[in-house]
Amino acid sequence: MNCESVTKIIPLYFYGELPPEEEDRLEQHLDACAACARQAESQRALSAALDRREMQPSAALLAECRHDLMRAVYRHEAPVRRPAQSAAPWDGVRHGLHTGFSAWLPSLGPWRMPLGASALLALGFITARLTAPGAAGPFNLASLTPDVISSIRSVQPAHDGSQPGEVQIVLDETRRRVVSGQLNDSNIQRLMLAAAHDENNPGVRWESVDLLKSHSDSSAVRELLINRVAEDPNPGVRLKALDGLKTFTADPEVRKVLAQVLMHDDNPGVRIAAVDALTAHADDNMVGFLQGVVQKEDNTYVRRRCVKALQDMNASVGTF
Amino acid sequence: MAQDAPGAVGARLSPKLDEANLIRAVQRGDQDAFEQLVRAYDQSVLRLAVNLLRSQEDARDVFQEAFLRVFRSIDSFRFDCSFHTWLYRIVTNICLDYLRKRKVRKEEPAVVDTPEGPLDRMNDFEEEAAHADPERNMWNRQLGQRIEGALGGLTPRERVVFELRHYQGLRLRNIGEILGTSEEAAKNCLFRATQKMRAELGDFQ
Repeated sequence: MNCESVTKIIPLYFYGELPPEEEDRLEQHLDACAACARQAESQRALSAALDRREMQPSAALLAECRHDLMRAVYRHEAPVRRPAQSAAPWDGVRHGLHTGFSAWLPSLGPWRMPLGASALLALGFITARLTAPGAAGPFNLASLTPDVISSIRSVQPAHDGSQPGEVQIVLDETRRRVVSGQLNDSNIQRLMLAAAHDENNPGVRWESVDLLKSHSDSSAVRELLINRVAEDPNPGVRLKALDGLKTFTADPEVRKVLAQVLMHDDNPGVRIAAVDALTAHADDNMVGFLQGVVQKEDNTYVRRRCVKALQDMNASVGTF
Repeated sequence: MAQDAPGAVGARLSPKLDEANLIRAVQRGDQDAFEQLVRAYDQSVLRLAVNLLRSQEDARDVFQEAFLRVFRSIDSFRFDCSFHTWLYRIVTNICLDYLRKRKVRKEEPAVVDTPEGPLDRMNDFEEEAAHADPERNMWNRQLGQRIEGALGGLTPRERVVFELRHYQGLRLRNIGEILGTSEEAAKNCLFRATQKMRAELGDFQ
């Protein structure tokens, strides 16, 4: 082992990446060679200095990152449902209205977020222009605050008798307000129930259902959970709602909805959760139904779960 | 001799939880499982991004982009490598893109965003005792600047290899796997990185 080869392996030695026998030879060389020993010391000093440059992200930053990520995940989950077997003529229209932007957003793939951000930016730009200081007119633009979200309903020439060149802009305004209180407060619960139906924001629906599901002893909350399991376009929300119904799997109404979910939901994860919830409550009447699911189910995991449930009930998997 | 940093990287899953089952649950659409999977790795991912990019804003973007990619492409994960390796491949690719763009723009942020406001990243190099010793304080400040300069002189790939080995405590074989290269190439990269830094900081001892 000569000084040139030692120079090359000192970093590996330092990081414990040398085989033991090579490490022994290097240490023997360092004992005998002052120049190489200085190099090893220099590596150690460099490392010690670099250790002190390490940044530890704060807990607050981590919490923000987690929150932003989960919102993004639930906001952009593709809400594609399998068509219901007996859809009423209005269901398609209702579904279209219900999904709104999100119905076409999934097809845009990675462009969804930038486009959404651009739309918001454009609105912000227009609002900022409208609320520019010094603007004058019959509408008090200066009174708009950042807590007021405006959208433009119409733009038209001003009516007779106004100054030439004057225009009339009609703004719809939403005022932001913070309300806080205990979940068992009926007013808070009413707001949460409404939030759980917010068509435009799956993130808000998910968070509302998640918070409300611990109050599923309330009939209004249970009704909401049943509704979200059956109707919500977002699988994350459906799973959360299903989770909240786990303690009511003996309830015939809940079982009926779970059976519908198992038959018709487009998301295998939701169907698996439905099997688990249904079979958590012993019910021999389920045998025929599960056998039917096994016959038609195209997802291996869901099928296996049904087969296992049938085996646990000592029932045959096939029908004769 | 430096040691690996056990537990510095990787799963914070309870031993009872089988990661493979968790991943399969995510593949079946279980979003609770996804949240658990994220929590097992998110601290080390954020630490890697913050240290590589020296910017909390960029690190936040990398964090979100990386885990969204995981969420969208978990179906393609076939257990050919560990989930940790797969995740770190995604994270380091995104970080490499950021570092390369910075190299092109010749930008290296001098100020780091912190919850307490902008912070000159050189300042945090000061030792506690140095406050009582202005000369020592100045020396540390200069050393901090030189270290930042030396790190900035590495290529994005050298920077990533160095970061993964020095701060994240990963073995070179694993680093090669993450970067889609051989252990030997990762060794050479580490050697070049340390040589460059020692050349830059040669007389600082």
